[in-house]
Amino acid sequence: MSDSPTGPGPRRFPRSVYGTGTEPDPRFSLANERTFLAWIRTSLALLAAGVALEGLDLALQPGLRLAASVVLVLLGVLAPVQAWRGWARDERAMRRGVPLASPTLASPLTAGVGLAGLLVLLGLLLR
Amino acid sequence: MSRFDPGLQPERTALAWRRTAVSVLVGSAAGGRLLAGQLGAGAVVLGIAGCAFAVWLHAAAGARARRTSRALARDGHLGRGPDGRVLALTCAFSVLVGAFAVSVVLGHGLSGILTSR
Repeated sequence: MSDSPTGPGPRRFPRSVYGTGTEPDPRFSLANERTFLAWIRTSLALLAAGVALEGLDLALQPGLRLAASVVLVLLGVLAPVQAWRGWARDERAMRRGVPLASPTLASPLTAGVGLAGLLVLLGLLLR
Repeated sequence: MSRFDPGLQPERTALAWRRTAVSVLVGSAAGGRLLAGQLGAGAVVLGIAGCAFAVWLHAAAGARARRTSRALARDGHLGRGPDGRVLALTCAFSVLVGAFAVSVVLGHGLSGILTSR
């Protein structure tokens, strides 16, 4: 190794993450990055579903269809926030050698997707 | 077999970036096409902008993979590897797309409900 994990490397963004602790096992950093990307793709899928529901003018009761769309796109806006905050928090925790927290948005996401499904089902029955 | 990790983590991470870039490309193209009927040329321009971001993201994924590989070969850790800049940009792009999606959904849904009364 040409320098130690704690040695002065280049300034890496963000300082709030890389300014603390020591370089963790690279496999853990890479896994953390893939988790970030999975949240980003989840966001894209939620936004696509929400926009498609309205944009394709599917034959559902209009109010319930709009409600389902709004739930999906709002979750789609929150998912990238979870992606970034979760990535930064986990990377910082790994650098400090402390336990990782669970994703804050996991339960709201489950509830929200379930709710959207229920609204679509009702929208189909009540059209 | 990877030189660094039998679990192929650098390779899987590079593929995850490319998969995300392709998702952005498909989503932008499909979204631009779907909304062109309602929003006209504006939707096409935004769709093309999204596609351009996807192409840049795909290139950035390649650069990132090379940088990861170089840092691991030289140091055995990612101290001189890639940082969070591309992640922050990807996140900002997603939030922008999300804000746009909220306005499209609300605009379309509410106008549909109001005109039907």
